[in-house]
Amino acid sequence: MKSVWARTLCRLLMVLMIWSPVQFAQAGMIGTDQVASTASQADRNTVLQFLDRAEVASQLQSLGVDARNVKDRVAAMSDQEVQQIAGKIQSMPAGADTTGVVLLLLVVAAVVWWVWFRR
Amino acid sequence: MAGLAGCASWFPQTRELAESGMPPGLPEQVELTEVPFFPQQEYQCGPAALATVLNAGGANTTPEALVSQVYIPERKGSLQVEMLAAARRNGMVSYTLAPRFENVLREIAAGNPVVVLQNLGFFGAGWHYAVAIGYDYRLGTLVLRSGTQERDVMPFAANEAVWMRSGYWAMVALPPDRIPATADEKSWLNALAAFERAGDAARARTAYQTFLERWPDDVNAHIGLANAHYALGELPRAEAVLRDAARRAPDSVVVLNNLAQTLSDQGRNDEALPVIERAAAAGGPFAGAVAKTRATILERLEKKRVQ
Repeated sequence: MKSVWARTLCRLLMVLMIWSPVQFAQAGMIGTDQVASTASQADRNTVLQFLDRAEVASQLQSLGVDARNVKDRVAAMSDQEVQQIAGKIQSMPAGADTTGVVLLLLVVAAVVWWVWFRR
Repeated sequence: MAGLAGCASWFPQTRELAESGMPPGLPEQVELTEVPFFPQQEYQCGPAALATVLNAGGANTTPEALVSQVYIPERKGSLQVEMLAAARRNGMVSYTLAPRFENVLREIAAGNPVVVLQNLGFFGAGWHYAVAIGYDYRLGTLVLRSGTQERDVMPFAANEAVWMRSGYWAMVALPPDRIPATADEKSWLNALAAFERAGDAARARTAYQTFLERWPDDVNAHIGLANAHYALGELPRAEAVLRDAARRAPDSVVVLNNLAQTLSDQGRNDEALPVIERAAAAGGPFAGAVAKTRATILERLEKKRVQ
């Protein structure tokens, strides 16, 4: 039970943390990102967008990203990008490593070299 | 032989490149030798690839400095979205290319190194970022800065085999006074809006100015340029850009709202009021923001009358 409460509290803090600067930016002028995004994006509830950002932030933190860096990282994403990865960070491609996997490359290279020269 | 011919459909884009001949307007062989090389540390091809393109574009950064911006320890890797986002934080406009091999060649020919996401593993795992910096069409090879290899030469087909698994994902990151060779108007504007959102208004201003030199009729780019001026406190210039936009799109609620706000902030609430009234009458998805602006203007007018 304790962890559920801790997680909820964590999410809440994330929302507050992310909310304040965005609120400020939206006073008066309508932002270019709101205009440029597609119609469906513009319709998307602002609250949902904030929740997506909080979700992404808490997920990054739970995957070992330093809490001090999370805010700036999420802030640099567009609404569309946030929506794209919210809830999916665990399963999305994360470019990482080459060791031990060059084998496939060699096999593929050997098999397909001719494709070009067959022209 | 029939079986072998079937293989060609495994590499549809390589096949297309081979059959249709050299894409028009491209040199046969290019290599951007001046692009720096950062050999990757363990798992950190994301920061290394990103540092490569950012420095090529004139930024001054290192893979080590980028680790805290893109690396996810428990995934032991970096997400595509964060590669795009971190480029913005370092003053570069990031852009996802349309998923075509020819576009990668076009960007290289224009002097822009291209980050590609490959999957080198047999099953699932094995995602890897490399930077394409050259090609030789006659030999059918791509040259990449990849992992610990400064000059990894891959046949087009081999690259396609590992690259297609990411849905042919590729990105460039350019300084704000440049436009990718393969950019289309709408996608590039989205890239600029994301760039503007991430921070540096002065660089966003340059980016929108460059955009408008290429596509002078784009109303949304006018809105972006005006927002950048506004953020920098250049209200008269924001006003001029918005008036220009209003001539092109007299009914744009966003243009009217932002123009009214800009006028009001210059103390010209009498002028701002009829403008915001027109925006309010039009309604639409931005009605909430318009109502707020209108309330601010009325409040300021009221205050002035009381004084």
